[in-house]
Amino acid sequence: MNLKALNKSLWAFHFNSGSCNGCDIEIIAALTPRYDVERFGIKLVGTPRHADILLLTGPVAMDMKEKLERVYAQMPSPKAVMLIGNCGNSGDVFYESYSLVGPADRIIPVDVYVPGCPPRPEAIIHGVVKVWQKLEKEAKK
Amino acid sequence: MSEGKTFKIAVGPVHPALKEPVQLNCEIEGEQVKHVDIELSQVHRSIEWIGTRRNPVQVVFLAEKICGICNICHTLCFCEAVESIAGIEVPARAHYIRTIAAELERIHSHILWAGVAAHELGFDSVMHYTWKLREKVLDTTEYLTGNRIGKAIVTIGGTKRDIEEKQFGKIREACNYYRQNFSRLRDIFLKDPIIKARARDIGILRRDDALSLCAVGPTARASGVKKDVRQDEAYAAYPDLDVKAITPKELLGEIRGDVYDRIAVRLLEVLQSVELIEKCLKQMPEGKIAYESKLAKVLSDVKQLKGEAIGRHEAPRGEVFHYLKMVGEETPYSWKVRAPTYNNILSWIPMLKGAQIADIPIVAASIDPCMSCTNRAAIADGKELGNEKLHRLSVEKTRSLKKGPGSERGNCN
Amino acid sequence: MKAEQVLASFKKRFKLKEARIDNVMHRANRKSAVPRIWIEIGREEFKEAVGHLCELHPMPHFAVASGYQIGEIIELIYHFSLNYGKPQGEICIGIKTKLEKGNASIPTITGLVPGALISEREIQEMLGVKVEGIPDSRRLFLPKNFPKKVYPWRRDETGPNKIVRNMHKGEKK
Repeated sequence: MNLKALNKSLWAFHFNSGSCNGCDIEIIAALTPRYDVERFGIKLVGTPRHADILLLTGPVAMDMKEKLERVYAQMPSPKAVMLIGNCGNSGDVFYESYSLVGPADRIIPVDVYVPGCPPRPEAIIHGVVKVWQKLEKEAKK
Repeated sequence: MSEGKTFKIAVGPVHPALKEPVQLNCEIEGEQVKHVDIELSQVHRSIEWIGTRRNPVQVVFLAEKICGICNICHTLCFCEAVESIAGIEVPARAHYIRTIAAELERIHSHILWAGVAAHELGFDSVMHYTWKLREKVLDTTEYLTGNRIGKAIVTIGGTKRDIEEKQFGKIREACNYYRQNFSRLRDIFLKDPIIKARARDIGILRRDDALSLCAVGPTARASGVKKDVRQDEAYAAYPDLDVKAITPKELLGEIRGDVYDRIAVRLLEVLQSVELIEKCLKQMPEGKIAYESKLAKVLSDVKQLKGEAIGRHEAPRGEVFHYLKMVGEETPYSWKVRAPTYNNILSWIPMLKGAQIADIPIVAASIDPCMSCTNRAAIADGKELGNEKLHRLSVEKTRSLKKGPGSERGNCN
Repeated sequence: MKAEQVLASFKKRFKLKEARIDNVMHRANRKSAVPRIWIEIGREEFKEAVGHLCELHPMPHFAVASGYQIGEIIELIYHFSLNYGKPQGEICIGIKTKLEKGNASIPTITGLVPGALISEREIQEMLGVKVEGIPDSRRLFLPKNFPKKVYPWRRDETGPNKIVRNMHKGEKK
């Protein structure tokens, strides 16, 4: 994998596949002044084509499956996926349903799992650091 | 572009809460929106069906996950319905704790919305400022309930945690903090000439449209419909608090039903919530916090109920409505959840007709559709336009307004 | 107008199969109860009953329509509220009507209450009830590739049980 493209700060694209909004507002909270990851240059971008990491929330609803695959395909390589929240990891309270197709790692490969319902902003930032470490490790190989 | 030729622009999807994921298919002629069609199927999670397979105590936890922002509202409605069927008498102190939690949630939600609205208008510094203000209410919520977002304080027959006398100080401190910062927030949103230009007479919902489309919450109140469950039905501790539905008339002296009015109503409601919390702290009665503290006993009381009931609550976005039917089985036979945006989405159609493309984000956000502003993809004329582009259009419109009246409005390239 | 008067006016004009007022007490001060009216009406008179509500109040607030299937019957409940905007004066009323499962249809009320469109589209896809004269009969909440003839709110063989997935178990192939 050519990781030269990642020698600057990571840019993230946020994709909500049917979450309750809890994780999503915590992602924004991580960006805003209290936690402020933007000081490290990490920011949310408006299109997957500019993104290095995909921040994925939610248990993946039927209609979002195809959109999720499309968004993932649009991201340039090298890329990483961070799955935020319990429901994308295991289904959580929605584990049994007629219109959900998760868990998300059956649809696209996931690099870092951040459990929690919702995880605190600190946990999300910790997840970003883990992504970074993982990518660095791979770059050294 | 030839006269009368229209293009289709899809705004959306991706909208998170129960029934709010939405795709707006707008038909555009030049810069003007001619027609809007709404698609809601994107993120259907079948929560109502899941609820009919669990017992009422388990459904409380499911109801929390309907919406991450207004999780008190849904648990409160569900518990209210169960309590009505079972004839459970909730202690007065629990009603007060529920009310305080619900009002803290309203402050949190309205300030969050103000940030989203500022972002849609291209004022990201204001967004960061409002989200900084919001951290105070999250700290208070965490102090009282143990969690920032999922509060998990309401349960069948009362609440799970008490708010003790020694905790009042921190709540009062948070109230004072919002009181002090309110005038600054008001000046930013209501006195800024650019925000005024972007919000005044944009996305108008007339009173008769609001009535006939059954709009609820701040969306209806900004159009002059004095409808507020806290005032009309007065459940929980609200009858003791003398709540009045807020319309923009109190602050602005007139009602136009536009985006600006909806901003004004939400700002006033932040102040109203602060007052309500302070009143609650003053009047809070002594007593138990739940009719029964043992969960196993609660479960055996609610397991084999027969009957039907509704639960209603004024959420930050409007009225939440739950219908519950039990037929003597362990699980509910039918559970219907109605979130406020369900009623408010139809009002997008009159609001957006005739609007400019650059106004779509702020008009759509103005009903506060539980929107986690981030993911949008717009596809125009077969070519893909990112959310980036739509957002940029909106930002550019603000910038061109800043340059002065002579500059072109809604510069689209 | 009081809840009793509303119920009396319905009793006077229609043949009600069920009529009751539940007095719900969920207030801290327990001074007065909140009345909830429940009435059941025949399918033929249903639209007229909604019209009657519109005579009682210029624009009754329509909350939502809920429904379920028990045996061969589909029961719909339309939830309205009157007198909103009056402090502690709002009256909730649930109008029920029973339909036969095999041939379930109900006239649209969008002519009287335009805001009912979303609920009507919902009961159409969720319960398989045909809404006669609905201005827009497309699906609303269900995914686009959702199987036809599966109605999530039903409990018989047309219910969603066969397409349910459990995320804790392996992929269904």
